[in-house]
Amino acid sequence: MADAALFLSDLALGVLLGCVFAVIAHGLNLIWGVAKVVNVAHGEFIMLGAYGAYFLNLWFGFNPLLSIPFDAAIGLGVGVLFYFGFLHRELRGKESMDLQSEMVTLVSTFGLSLVLINTAQKLWTPDNVGIPWSPGYVVFGPVQLPLGGLYVAIVSVSIIALSHVFLSKTYLGNAIRAHSQDIPAAQLVGINPTITASIGTAVGFGITMVGGALLTVWLPTGIFPAMGNLYAPISFVIVVLGGPGKMWGSLVGGLTLGVIINVGQLFLGNNLSLAEAAAFLILIPVLLLRPEGILR
Amino acid sequence: MNLRSILSVGPTLWGIGIFLVILGGSAPWIPGFLLTLVTGLLIWATLAYSLNLITGLVGYVSFGHVVFMAFGGYALAFGVGALNLHPVVGVALGAAVGLALALGIGLVTLRFRGVYFAIATLVIAVAALYIVLDIEELGDGKGIILNPAVEPLSVFYTILVTLAIEVGVTYAITHGRIGYGIRSIKGDEDAANTLGINAARIKLFVYALSGLFAGAAGGVYAWNVSGAFPYSSFSLTFSLQMLAMIVIGGMGTLLGPLIGTVAVYLPSQVFLTIPLLSGLQFIVIGLVVIIIALFVPGGIVGTLRKYIPEFRGMLE
Amino acid sequence: MTRVLEVSQVHKYFGGVRAVQGVSLAVQEGNVIGLIGPNGSGKSTLLNLIAGVMKPTKGRISLDGQRIDGWPAHRIVEQGIAKTHQIPKPFLAMTCRENVAVAAMFGSNKQKDQSEALETAGRVLTLVGLEGKADSISSNLTVQERKRLEFARVLGTGARILLLDEIFAGLSPEELRDAIGMFTQVQKEVGFGALVVEHVMRAVLTVSGHVVVIEEGTKIADGSPREVVENPAVIEAYLGAEAVHAPT
Repeated sequence: MADAALFLSDLALGVLLGCVFAVIAHGLNLIWGVAKVVNVAHGEFIMLGAYGAYFLNLWFGFNPLLSIPFDAAIGLGVGVLFYFGFLHRELRGKESMDLQSEMVTLVSTFGLSLVLINTAQKLWTPDNVGIPWSPGYVVFGPVQLPLGGLYVAIVSVSIIALSHVFLSKTYLGNAIRAHSQDIPAAQLVGINPTITASIGTAVGFGITMVGGALLTVWLPTGIFPAMGNLYAPISFVIVVLGGPGKMWGSLVGGLTLGVIINVGQLFLGNNLSLAEAAAFLILIPVLLLRPEGILR
Repeated sequence: MNLRSILSVGPTLWGIGIFLVILGGSAPWIPGFLLTLVTGLLIWATLAYSLNLITGLVGYVSFGHVVFMAFGGYALAFGVGALNLHPVVGVALGAAVGLALALGIGLVTLRFRGVYFAIATLVIAVAALYIVLDIEELGDGKGIILNPAVEPLSVFYTILVTLAIEVGVTYAITHGRIGYGIRSIKGDEDAANTLGINAARIKLFVYALSGLFAGAAGGVYAWNVSGAFPYSSFSLTFSLQMLAMIVIGGMGTLLGPLIGTVAVYLPSQVFLTIPLLSGLQFIVIGLVVIIIALFVPGGIVGTLRKYIPEFRGMLE
Repeated sequence: MTRVLEVSQVHKYFGGVRAVQGVSLAVQEGNVIGLIGPNGSGKSTLLNLIAGVMKPTKGRISLDGQRIDGWPAHRIVEQGIAKTHQIPKPFLAMTCRENVAVAAMFGSNKQKDQSEALETAGRVLTLVGLEGKADSISSNLTVQERKRLEFARVLGTGARILLLDEIFAGLSPEELRDAIGMFTQVQKEVGFGALVVEHVMRAVLTVSGHVVVIEEGTKIADGSPREVVENPAVIEAYLGAEAVHAPT
């Protein structure tokens, strides 16, 4: 009976964590879907989002939820800069991404990741910081859940749902979706590829940085310049699990990973590091058996 | 191989060969601090050449190359620490482990192309750290510390010979029939397959070589620092530095990785000695990588070849 | 020995889409078979199945009686069947000579010696009329030249059965006449067998001794070029569809 309670509570925590994972991966997913590139520096923008929340808390006492609009605004701006700095030259005039351009963006964004991590270390020291915010717990039967995690999970799912509405119900969103499916056809119906791709990238960055802010709820002392080295691979795995470019895929992938890490520990002799290894390695069979992701 | 074909290997191989021979001949008279610096340079050059095999020649960007280096280091530390092997045997063990690991990982991941390969290798490197943290024989997350009675000259000569072999192997596979196969795969893998090239086998072969040399270099690295420690051995920074070196020097060329290593390693060491600048080296490396990736494809060697026709024959 | 490629009752499904449904045909060394049909009728898919680029869902493909279906592409080439790509895929960083030399080194002949392979490549490039471009980097070629290079590469493999996917497409009338002349000449000289997928009716009717027509993945006619163009089923399916798909 105690085991069942433990399982339930780990499952619930896994789901909550999975929702936040989903939102940090969602930003990557959007950029991957729209611009067809993988941003290797993705983890560093999560880090910047987390530091954004940290400083807003330090200076103004904001809790991580209040920092969302600020992080989103910064992310949108950074995303436009990123698009024109790193992607525009490779995407301009092309109908699809070739392996050569893929290599260029992989390597250049990797260079960006080196710059961002080390600049952050210079500015803010390599030491861990955290946000002291704990709104308490809520109890459901045998399961006790942190309220902070619960709020953040609700916000995360809402962000994904909103982005889904944006992409399927608005003109701009439909243009972005058309662009990500077939660039020549989208151009034929009058969609400007540069505007669409840059806005798609900007939205992706906004969501990524907000994800970084939301993630801080789970990181009482886990904000540090190199944190992206963990969360970028997590995001990559989630996007591949759910299927790149599939908007609900982020949620499916995120929940899968969150649950594997939390529940996996129970079955792997309470061993967190093995559970984390398993969460990463699940990528391999998925890529082998269902390269298009879990979702159809 | 007859004498004529040995003599006709081209100025680049001759140049690197002479450089290594002079380095080897003068080593006993090189002062200690400089020898340490040169040994470090050669370890990095060996790593850069190993990544160059799969990423530069075949065109598969690997972000997880550190995994071979780390396990090579652990193999040496375990062999020397627990089995009392001679360190040189430990390096050979590291090479064997690197080879075996590359065969296993490559068999699966080389099916993925482009970003998928890059992500798969990255994820395996991250997962490997978590697995090593849990293996008792490998220090249970604390690593393995060796007795630090290191003879700098033995370390130096081991890595010198390893690098010389590696450069020779790189030359041999790029200039043989298999070299055409490798270039075809980099050019268009589907077309290569439909012309009779067994791309899967060639990729695995090159990846295995690349794992072997990274494993050997990792062994020497662990020997040099007297141990293997999980968080530093598996640090993704290693993968990233290797990649920076070949991007800056020129991917897929014979001379590029060496030039790139010199261009990245020596300034980094200088930055490290100046407290005010320490840490800035990676910012500079990152900026240079961005600029080269976006505006100077081909790196230093590729650009020289492009704009100075006389170099084209020399920098084969 | 004359080599024979036999395709019997081959099917290929993509999920619910039935791209090829039970097509049978045979190609003998020395003979050119035309394969025609409207857009999306499964012609290219059939070539890909034979070349080992895709695996058939069911059915049997054999060369001289030996089953080869499901084999990887590189082994099929070793056995002597080589395919061109509809959109040419030259190795852009190599010269034309090197492009063809790769085929000579790794194709069915497996010439181990590099200088011999490069010589073979030179001869093949002369055959297809690209001798002037032998030492140009292939990224500098025009689309037409790339098509010729694609053809040169399959010749370079030494394969005895060639699968040619629209090598005559997109040519001006004069270019087409030259290309047909070149093709007939080379075919006579080398004596390969070929399965030619083509939209350009004039080309396919001129070069092939026998024509197979498929529609929606099924064979609807089979015979000499004259018989086929007079076959009412073909006229209806082909020209009807063509009228819908015009102008291309």
